Amino acid sequence: MKVSIVSLTCCAGCVSSLLNAGEALLDVLSDDFEIVYSPTFIDLKEVPNVDLAIVEGGVRTEEDEKLIKEVRAKSRIIVALGMCATHGGITSLGNVLSLKKILEKEHSLILEANKLPELKDLMYPICNFVDVDYYVPGCPPMPLLMIHTLKSIATGKPPVRHQSVVCTECHRKIVPAKLDKLYGIYEKEADHELCLVSQGFVCLGSLTRDGCGAPCPRADFTCFGCRGPPDSLLYRSRDMYALLVKVISARTGIGEEKVKEELYRNPFIFHTFIFSRFERFKARERVI
Amino acid sequence: MSLKREVTISPTTRIEGHGKVTIRLDEEGNVSDAQFFATEIRGFDYFLRGMDAERLPFIISRICGVCSTAHVLASVKTIENICRTEITETATKLRELLSMGQIITNHSLVFFFLTLPDFWFSTTEDASRRNMFQIIREKPEVGRKAMTLRNFGVRILDVIGKREVHILSAIPGGIISPLKERERTALLQRAGDACAVAREALATGKELFEKNWEEFRKAGDHKTSYMAMTEDDALEFYDGQIRIINSEGEKLSQFASQEYMEHVEEKSAGWTYAKFAYLKNSESSDGIVQVGPTARMNINKKTATEFADEELKEFKTKFGRIAHATLLFDYARLIDLMYACEKAKELLEDETIMRADTRVKITPKGGRGVGVVEAPRGTLAHEYTLTEDGRLESMKLIIPTQVNNAAINLNVKEAAKKFIQKGEIKPGLLNRVEMVIRAYDPCIKCATRQANSELTVEVENSRGDVVKTFT
Repeated sequence: MKVSIVSLTCCAGCVSSLLNAGEALLDVLSDDFEIVYSPTFIDLKEVPNVDLAIVEGGVRTEEDEKLIKEVRAKSRIIVALGMCATHGGITSLGNVLSLKKILEKEHSLILEANKLPELKDLMYPICNFVDVDYYVPGCPPMPLLMIHTLKSIATGKPPVRHQSVVCTECHRKIVPAKLDKLYGIYEKEADHELCLVSQGFVCLGSLTRDGCGAPCPRADFTCFGCRGPPDSLLYRSRDMYALLVKVISARTGIGEEKVKEELYRNPFIFHTFIFSRFERFKARERVI
Repeated sequence: MSLKREVTISPTTRIEGHGKVTIRLDEEGNVSDAQFFATEIRGFDYFLRGMDAERLPFIISRICGVCSTAHVLASVKTIENICRTEITETATKLRELLSMGQIITNHSLVFFFLTLPDFWFSTTEDASRRNMFQIIREKPEVGRKAMTLRNFGVRILDVIGKREVHILSAIPGGIISPLKERERTALLQRAGDACAVAREALATGKELFEKNWEEFRKAGDHKTSYMAMTEDDALEFYDGQIRIINSEGEKLSQFASQEYMEHVEEKSAGWTYAKFAYLKNSESSDGIVQVGPTARMNINKKTATEFADEELKEFKTKFGRIAHATLLFDYARLIDLMYACEKAKELLEDETIMRADTRVKITPKGGRGVGVVEAPRGTLAHEYTLTEDGRLESMKLIIPTQVNNAAINLNVKEAAKKFIQKGEIKPGLLNRVEMVIRAYDPCIKCATRQANSELTVEVENSRGDVVKTFT
């Protein structure tokens, strides 16, 4: 099938991650895919008609919006790859303030010159503008997760979905503890076998979609939510906060009020990758 | 009939990020001006304010998925600089290895997937075929070799960094956990093959390069100053002094990396989302400086590894002590790659890299600090100011592509002039302009992460005179 790889506003990490699949990617390329459009790798300047468009990045400029609409019109299937495309990603943290306003001085000049694409008011995931057939969240998604998904699409099978949370893929034992405070990632060394939350670290595994294989908790590092919410929390971000407070309180023995107080200190903790507005994100069965 | 018009290349292809080139032609159809634009922006410098310092390294790495490891390393070094923390020798070795993993993944990507097609196919080749996927279709073994080499870097980042893109393990205070024996042996098994492929890539690159040299040297050779990290005149990527030389090779200054911001300053222009960085006035007259592979070859006299050292000497014999031709970036990048493979192997052969002392305790402090590493595209500097309770108050990053931005624009114009005359543009020639940009391997993702209204904005008229300054 003919494939295009489209980059909107992003860090290019998703396509890097796809390349990291190495031999597995070469197999997909020789068996199933012919990549015909990708500004990163191919000199074609016009968007062609394709069977499958793999889109990394979200919509930050008017040009991004124009491009994603054109890609939609010319592609049979669209896969949103990575958090920027699926949820707005890290760039959507810029939505806490008006980047557009801050840029106003430079921006007015840019508009005068009429050469640069105008910024949109916020950073948006692509589903706010076009229908998306499959969402593969992750920052970036693991190489094999992408390859399995792409391979399924190529062979016409529905891709395997991951609906649960990272804890299901984590080897650590949950043992309720009696702590008096929460810890930062570098404040103490983590025990290798115990649940990180039981040790007082703010690990987001219980709020985050599985499918990554839990690389961060395996490395003694807290999960920071880069796969976005699981099915059960997809439309209920307020529940997310309440759930996290409950989980931490239950596993550390710290009272809920005190947990809330400590979490309040760092407002970036659980919206790191999803601080955007979803308008048409109503396709639970399409999140891989 | 007037031939005055504007030629646009959009989007520029086979580079990282969104860019375009505008070339203006005068009445006679000759190039009067050319500009390389960045057409995206994200604003990291703003929205990270207030974030806990402990979360900064892995969030900042999201500036660029291609050179994320370099950002993480610069970030942890900055925080350690603020907290006055000395990491252990074992942690330093592991970070050096991560740095080599970064060079290997990036340079093999750039060589095989971005620039090789330019050398591989003739200049008249159909644009739709001029790419790595076509090369893989024609010669699958080239694809496999590319992956063997790149995978060595990817595995280093995976095993030691704990994730292949946006690594986790480098934390303020060291490396999160020690390297295990079976991990070390598994990596070492890949090292030999990777070194062999790197040698082959270098041989192929040199051959293709020499065949086309006469044509390639026309593609711009603007003489500028150069800047790179150095350790006793030897190539260095993780920790060393920063040296600046002029276009003749005379040393302008050499300083500890923490003093970086005293030597380099940022400026923005109204016509591109990417900022520029120049040497401060005292260093050189126009302030234009280049960083990256060629700069590293020009600054350093040797490398600590055997084969790369021979190649560096050969490079200097061929192109003189100070090389200026833009497309030499592609050649020099292969020497970097060779060095990185050899150095990674050497680090892995040293059993002390497995020692358990990878972390020291860090005491959070407020204040200002700077961290510099040699990223794939050149010298990368982070500067943060933290509040007493360990949150980010402000940050300033100077990214290699910003530093090269001025030279890229000059060379694009020079190349356009040579290839477009009297209004006549041959189809293969626009790619030549792109080749010049590609040689720098510019990372628009990095250069456009920010928005900073505190900077001065200069508006230039068509003659390049500054007509208005906004501050």
